Amino acid sequence: MLFNSLTFIAFFAIVLSLYWSMRSWNGRKNLLLVASYLFYGAWNPPFAALLFSTTALDFYLGRKMGRVKTPAERRVWLWISVAVNLSMLGFFKYGNFLLENFQWVLARGGIQYKPPHLDVFLPIGISFYTFHSLSYTLDIYRGVMQPTRSLRDFTLAVSFFPQLVAGPIVRAGDFLPQLEKPPQPQTGRFLWGLLLMTLGLFEKVVLADSLLSGSADRVFGYRGPLMALDSWTGVVAFAGQIFCDFAGYSTCAIGAALCLGFHLKDNFRFPYAAIGFSDFWRRWHISLSTFLRDYLYIPLGGNRRGPARAMINLIIVMFIGGLWHGAAWTFVAWGLLHGSYLAIERLIKAVVRPAPWMNSFGIQLLIGAITYFAVLVAWVYFRASDFGTASRLIGGMFGAHSRPDAILSTREILQVALVTIGLLIAHWSMRETSIEAVVQRLPRWVVGGAWFLMAGAIILTQGSSNAFIYFQF
Amino acid sequence: MHSSTSNFNRPIPRQPWRGMTVAVAVGILIAVTCWEVYCRSLGYEPTLNDTSDLWTEARRRVQPESIVIVGDSRPWFDLDLDELERGLMKRPVQLAQAGSCAFPVLEDLANDQQFHGTIICSIVPRLFFAPAGPPLEESQKAVQRYHGQTWAQRVSHELSVPLERSFAFLKQQELTLPDLLNDIPIPNRPYAQVPPPLPPYFCSVDRERRARMVEQCVRPGRLQTRVKNGWAALFTPPPPPTYVPTAAFVAKMQKAVADRFRNTGICVDKLRARGGKIVFVRFPVTGQLKKLEDEQTPRAQTWEPLVQQTHVPGIYFEDFPDLASFDCPEWSHLSAGDSVEFTKRLVPHLRQALQINSVAVK
Repeated sequence: MLFNSLTFIAFFAIVLSLYWSMRSWNGRKNLLLVASYLFYGAWNPPFAALLFSTTALDFYLGRKMGRVKTPAERRVWLWISVAVNLSMLGFFKYGNFLLENFQWVLARGGIQYKPPHLDVFLPIGISFYTFHSLSYTLDIYRGVMQPTRSLRDFTLAVSFFPQLVAGPIVRAGDFLPQLEKPPQPQTGRFLWGLLLMTLGLFEKVVLADSLLSGSADRVFGYRGPLMALDSWTGVVAFAGQIFCDFAGYSTCAIGAALCLGFHLKDNFRFPYAAIGFSDFWRRWHISLSTFLRDYLYIPLGGNRRGPARAMINLIIVMFIGGLWHGAAWTFVAWGLLHGSYLAIERLIKAVVRPAPWMNSFGIQLLIGAITYFAVLVAWVYFRASDFGTASRLIGGMFGAHSRPDAILSTREILQVALVTIGLLIAHWSMRETSIEAVVQRLPRWVVGGAWFLMAGAIILTQGSSNAFIYFQF
Repeated sequence: MHSSTSNFNRPIPRQPWRGMTVAVAVGILIAVTCWEVYCRSLGYEPTLNDTSDLWTEARRRVQPESIVIVGDSRPWFDLDLDELERGLMKRPVQLAQAGSCAFPVLEDLANDQQFHGTIICSIVPRLFFAPAGPPLEESQKAVQRYHGQTWAQRVSHELSVPLERSFAFLKQQELTLPDLLNDIPIPNRPYAQVPPPLPPYFCSVDRERRARMVEQCVRPGRLQTRVKNGWAALFTPPPPPTYVPTAAFVAKMQKAVADRFRNTGICVDKLRARGGKIVFVRFPVTGQLKKLEDEQTPRAQTWEPLVQQTHVPGIYFEDFPDLASFDCPEWSHLSAGDSVEFTKRLVPHLRQALQINSVAVK
């Protein structure tokens, strides 16, 4: 079920009405659980059973970990949880990818082997809910939380429909405490949640799908050499599209959760105003970057084992981060590029001593521009279907083709330019603050006017929207 | 370290939320009403959008022995389902789609082991032999939606039907934000390979996917001229890509067309093996568009070999004076009134081609 669909509007209206009319907290939680499985089962009902089975297993393993005395015993149960969760993810998401690469390696050794193609459907949002569930056993192992006694609560924490299929990756430790006491109805929270949902849908339906995706799709789908203007327009359009698509989903999720009285953390903080790459990853897909930091980077040794090892750790983490996004070497290349950016930044910081002039607005803006530029180059590998397309596009961006083609209309170029400029201005003007602080400062007519315009634009765009990009991850 | 047992609370900005929400809701209501009135003043009327979901709904109605219409926009406009039902004794299912290639739908029906009915397949060579691109994608998208439609998509479709029947501004492909932006006249770079714009709105669609040309387009005027002007660009093949040697590109296209001939034959054989029937129909086309089609896709190189190779009976409108006497207001489709008369006249030809002998229901 998509947030940008009539079914979701009807579904959400029914859930909200029933939820707030119920007195029993247990009844409300049961309702949310049923609604969440209905929401997920709307795509492919059998996968709801898969979701429940991994959740139930982690619940059981969490209880086991809570009962055992020694760290060694806890580790055994943790490894079972990690192995089962990652095997499930590996089978559904990486099965064919691994077989194809195995075939390629054998072929290099002169062995011709054609493995059978695994005809498996990718359960939607499997990367997200696997991490939701895994965070529970990992946190119990780390000793930062106690296992819950309620299977229903844990199942709801993993499957809570606003964040189930495309994040943010909500850790059980952040959500389970909210299930202890029923939230009281608050008009302000409810209506702010609706405004956030409008903002998220505006980003997704109007900006990502209507104004940016067309140019990005045409440029990345073109099989020939492109002019620099068209190449850059396509890449910039994709950068805007993926932000508006994913941040739009996260904003909708946060808004929907608020309408139900739950609080989810930010997943984006104006990332295109990042000054440096570590700053970028503190602002982009925050729930994934903190997950990888806490459960992978720090256990690998983080920066405690010297600068060289820290740089290797960064590259390993970003390699995994790239692979998490999809079973293709282009995603790995994207991750490795970001890993390299982070490693180089760390190297520069180790060599160059901080000086007051570095904090001047001009220098910060310059570093921000370099960061944005490098992020754009990395997006080429993320979006391109293969390395041939990526290198052709990179060539186009730097004017390397002798007889390049122009495929975008002037309107498309202007459209992408205007949206991107607006996006960058918004990110830079809000980089040190939050949307809540800005809304609180603004006069009511400005907030109301913006809400009216966003809702109007969504209605005007009606029906011409797509599924969220991150559903495939 | 990230706290795993946090009691995180998002701040809620202080604003007069109730008053603001009421003001926004009232504002939206007024704006939507004004927009609806304006759209109707431009001649738009409420109509269903011909989406993949509406197509899927029609595809679901296909029974093992159904009569099914597949192809492009010509049978969509030109065939009247009531007249066909009267003449062929069964109500046909309309699966033709504007600007699409019939082949993916033909293939889907041929591979449907339950289906052994009758197919009326329209042939517009430029679309039927399209090796790739939007004509093929349009049909493939619909077929994929039929096989993979979730119940959430089905519910969305059911909810959208009464809304689309009530509001003219919900007309997609014409009144959405991207389409409105598309109408802003901004000159393109002279060397830019920009796809031609699609013709503007000129039909209404009902739940059975019967398309009827709007009256504004039947009469000479601005809309009719705009539609006519749209055909030339759409029916002229784009130049070969610059990044592929011309000879290689031509060879690839020829192979794709040869494959389409062969695969169509395979589909026809599969259908016939189960007792199914099929007839190819070339619907009326007039004016400059007919000249263009005759030049670009001569009958001798497209229609004739297709009919001969597949041994499928064909009805070419020009071969029959009773079918050739119609005028298409915008060169490509019949008006809603003419489509009824055309269907009446087509029925005997269909009955003969399909060897239907029983008496028609009056």
